Amino acid sequence: MKERLTALAEEARARIGEAADLGKVEELRVRYLGKKGELSSVLGGMGKLAPDERRALGEVANKVKAELEGLLQQALGRAEDSQLEAQLKGPQVDVTLPGRLRRPGRRHPVSRALEDIVRTFQRLGFTVATGPEIELDHYNFEALNFPPEHPARDMQDTFWVDAHWLDKNALEKGGPVLLRTHTSPVQIRSMLGQKPPVRIVVPGRVFRRDSDITHTPMFHQVEGLLVDEKVTFAELKGTLAAFARAFFGPETQTRFRPSFFPFTEPSAEVDVSCTACAGKGCRVCKQTGWLEVLGSGMVHPNVLRAVGYDPEKYTGYAFGMGVERLAMLRHKIDDLRLMFENDVRFLEQF
Amino acid sequence: MKISKDWLAEYVELPSTVEELAKGLTMAGLEVEGIHRPGEGLRGVVVAQIVASVQHPNADKLSVTQVDAGALGKLQIVCGAKNYQVGDKVPLATVGTRLPNGTEIKQAALRGVESSGMLCSARELGLSEEASGLLILDPAQKAGTPIAQALGLDEVILELNVTPNRPDALAHHGIAREVAAITGKALKPVDVKVKESGGAAAAKVKIRIEDPAGCPRYAGRVIENLTVGPSPEWLRRRLEACGVRSINNIVDVTNYVNLELGQPLHAFDLDKVGGAEIVVRRARKGEKLKTLDGKERALDPDDLVIADQDRAQALAGTMGGEPTEVGGATRRILLESACFHAPSVRRMSKRHGLHTEASHRFERGSDIDVVGTALDRAAALIAQLSSGTLLQGRVDVYPQPAPNRRVKLRYPRLDAVLGLAIPPAEARRILTALGFVAEGKGGATEETFAVPHARVDVDREEDLIEEVARIFGYDRIPESLPRGVSDLAPEPVEMQSERRVRQALSGAGLDEVVNYSFVSAPELPWTRSGALSELGQPPVSIALKNPLSAELAVMRVSLYSGLLQNLARNLRHQVQAVKLYEIGNVFAPDPQGGLEGRPVAHETLMIGGLLWGKRDARTWSVADVEVDFFDAKGAVEAVLGSLGLTDAVYAPAEEAPFHPRSCARILVGGKPVGILGELHPKAAKKLDVPAATYLFQLDAQALYTAARLLPQYVSLPKYPAVLRDLAVVVPLELRHEEIRGVIREVGGALVEEARVFDVYTGKPIPEGRKNVAYAISYRASERTLTDEEVNAAHTKIVDEVNRRLGASLRGSNP
Repeated sequence: MKERLTALAEEARARIGEAADLGKVEELRVRYLGKKGELSSVLGGMGKLAPDERRALGEVANKVKAELEGLLQQALGRAEDSQLEAQLKGPQVDVTLPGRLRRPGRRHPVSRALEDIVRTFQRLGFTVATGPEIELDHYNFEALNFPPEHPARDMQDTFWVDAHWLDKNALEKGGPVLLRTHTSPVQIRSMLGQKPPVRIVVPGRVFRRDSDITHTPMFHQVEGLLVDEKVTFAELKGTLAAFARAFFGPETQTRFRPSFFPFTEPSAEVDVSCTACAGKGCRVCKQTGWLEVLGSGMVHPNVLRAVGYDPEKYTGYAFGMGVERLAMLRHKIDDLRLMFENDVRFLEQF
Repeated sequence: MKISKDWLAEYVELPSTVEELAKGLTMAGLEVEGIHRPGEGLRGVVVAQIVASVQHPNADKLSVTQVDAGALGKLQIVCGAKNYQVGDKVPLATVGTRLPNGTEIKQAALRGVESSGMLCSARELGLSEEASGLLILDPAQKAGTPIAQALGLDEVILELNVTPNRPDALAHHGIAREVAAITGKALKPVDVKVKESGGAAAAKVKIRIEDPAGCPRYAGRVIENLTVGPSPEWLRRRLEACGVRSINNIVDVTNYVNLELGQPLHAFDLDKVGGAEIVVRRARKGEKLKTLDGKERALDPDDLVIADQDRAQALAGTMGGEPTEVGGATRRILLESACFHAPSVRRMSKRHGLHTEASHRFERGSDIDVVGTALDRAAALIAQLSSGTLLQGRVDVYPQPAPNRRVKLRYPRLDAVLGLAIPPAEARRILTALGFVAEGKGGATEETFAVPHARVDVDREEDLIEEVARIFGYDRIPESLPRGVSDLAPEPVEMQSERRVRQALSGAGLDEVVNYSFVSAPELPWTRSGALSELGQPPVSIALKNPLSAELAVMRVSLYSGLLQNLARNLRHQVQAVKLYEIGNVFAPDPQGGLEGRPVAHETLMIGGLLWGKRDARTWSVADVEVDFFDAKGAVEAVLGSLGLTDAVYAPAEEAPFHPRSCARILVGGKPVGILGELHPKAAKKLDVPAATYLFQLDAQALYTAARLLPQYVSLPKYPAVLRDLAVVVPLELRHEEIRGVIREVGGALVEEARVFDVYTGKPIPEGRKNVAYAISYRASERTLTDEEVNAAHTKIVDEVNRRLGASLRGSNP
């Protein structure tokens, strides 16, 4: 039996040494060391032997088994290595094929600019306020110090609404119904609803009866209002200059020009240094180096009075900007109408 | 408003360059929108006198001329024109000139003869379309004079954008006052020298104001024996430079003085004024007037008119009438200078659709003080230019002379509003230069100023503060940083939610659009919400009274209209897919609206989406398939999921504008929050968009109210789950939620999740049935489940599904 064991060991050593792949190694493990393997079948005859012989043979068998296990382990390692080797030399993934991803949708440039503007003012402590788009004349004009029959109303061509459903009282008190021409009625609604300090930023759609290359009958504004004790024009300048730097870049210059809005006094138009030429003068800024982007001013005492604030105690500033214009400047869009055509080839660029 | 630089210079010394002038005005609030130099393109063209002309030796059609170009000396020019005579003065484009048509003049030899320039026609100078030979100039012009100067084109014109609060700045003298305040130079008054003769004007005309509220002052002068004719060159040029057409010496003077002083004037042919009487009154019922534009107008009792003793002869401050128009035969005129109630003029001008130079000024408010000055100035000029006799005296009806408004300026307040200290002396200097008169001795802390009547926009302290600030210079006011925040409130749920919704929809592959809030009325019935039976019926909606067009006439009742238009538009290009969303309001009347601060209409913020076409761009790695209901539902689920709303119910619905077999109402916590489905084929046909278009619309506020923005942690399971699949064959119309409901109910607490992973129809499944497969996960939170427990539960589920739903396990007998 011992000879059989030795012969078996000899043969197994040779075969295991030749085994090159994982399948072969496993096959040999089963063949020699499996439950019904050759080693077992040799040892199966041990029962007939005397105890001494059995012990001696057992020792030999264990040695053979241990040796074969070790060899198989090595063979397994070699086979794994060579398999890995083969894999690493296998066909390469075509890394130039496009990745697998559903194209994400895009933000509309106007809504994106609107959010950026609002967020900038939020950083300065302004909170968001909104209001209705269909308004009464009272909130859109009267309370904002636009007298009836005043040419200042011509600055904002108005869409009038057929408000047949409204109660007579509402119409008598609030005047005719219109689509708000600016976000400023929200100033009035907000101030009526709270005491100073007020620090709001108002994004929204506005409507003017105007349609040409540079005007659409609907556009977006962001309005800001800050009312508190001892608010100064200098602060208005500082706030808007800071905004301009945040939105257009740290090098942006601002210029404040006197202007007229019925609900502010003093009033100012705000120009920023041209975003296309950095103020040198180009086609975008009509060679002036400046772009008009904001209207602003100190809240008119009549407006404060209309909402029950004491203009002697409180002062404030307000400002407003057209979002489409800012979006066009930052993305270098040259045609306003693209904003509302919603051509997918346009939308996909943002 | 066009302002002539030369004209302005008559009243005030100007800065050395026009750019400096423009900047000064702009920075004082009078925005210069453009600087025009009409003669700019004519640099290098001068007046030349032809002193000799002979036939070109080598060309029949050319002549060789010798010209005298003044300081430039004698030059030889080859010329093709024939319309001149020796001695004529003509334009010469010298060598190096670039003409408006782009031609560059070079020293050249024409057929062997040297030519040092080109003699020009009016067309070559860009002055006219006519090309009938050389432009023959006035013989009085001196040779060598730049042509722009010779033709009066050397003017510089400033185009000003005057805000509606500043009627005083609609005149050269008013602008000059601004310049004087900015530069500190002196303002010269307008030169008025009246030479009267003949009798008293009051004997020739009576003036009566019946409506002093509508007309607080009316003054007239009479000029007799005049001759109506063309205006002199200087007057015509001035007017034309400012964009006003020359008519005759009478009308031109009224326009001139208007541009000078901002006071509109009107001349009546006095012989045609019935009874030689002027009455300022409201129009009578049924009264008519043929205005100067030739239109017969029915007057409104609110119209303010200038009448004679019989009838209305002019719309006050707006337009004169034809019967009293000054013409060639006119010998005597009444010259009117008046002040009219601004809102009356505005109403009248709007009512009659007449926006005139006069109404433009009067509706902004006019200067009651300048009425007399302007009248005298114009009367003197007319008398001079028309050789007329200016009768003695003004007939000036001014029943209640208006006092000047008095406004107090507190200097500490000035500093407090602006945020810097301006010395009182500087503030006083500015206000005085602008025509405000300090009353008494100036105090160090406050001072009262009389406001000139020209400044209709100034009536309170803030107005004075603005005057000081704008002339002092906004750029000299410092910038201080915005003050810090005293508290931070949490960001409103709406804002947080909306941001997440946008992210979710982007992730689902939808592009954001922005559509107009108004749409065309005929679209509404097909894009409305409501019961399916209402599809095609007009919904209750809100119409505009003055829409820009029929396409933009009613407020939208859903977001579908815009989205479907976007689809139609995009289909004109070769698009494979259109997936869009919009967030915006839809509108409906609110009968309780408008009272106590309530909005006048229901404005509901909606999240709308549209999907059509390929699910993905065609590529190698994903299936090339069209979107269906479940892509739309996926987008909706993404939105709801982003707000922490994972337990929405989708109930089959039959509603407009959806296909009745492919539509679901979406409920959160039992409340409807939106709807989704396939567009109804009828609506698709009406709106000319393809079938298989999927839409959804969600009520944003309802979602934001229900939103659970902060997920709450649930502890991780300690014991393993056991997974078992279940496949059942059920009738086609049986819904997934019903099967799942039975699974959950029967399985009880042991069923952690039952996820559908396959729905299959077709062989070998019998007709009318489908195979639905679920992966059921069994788990107990406090122990490891045994196989026996799971087997028992699973068997029970199988039996119950089978019994209750008429299902059969796949492979077993039906």
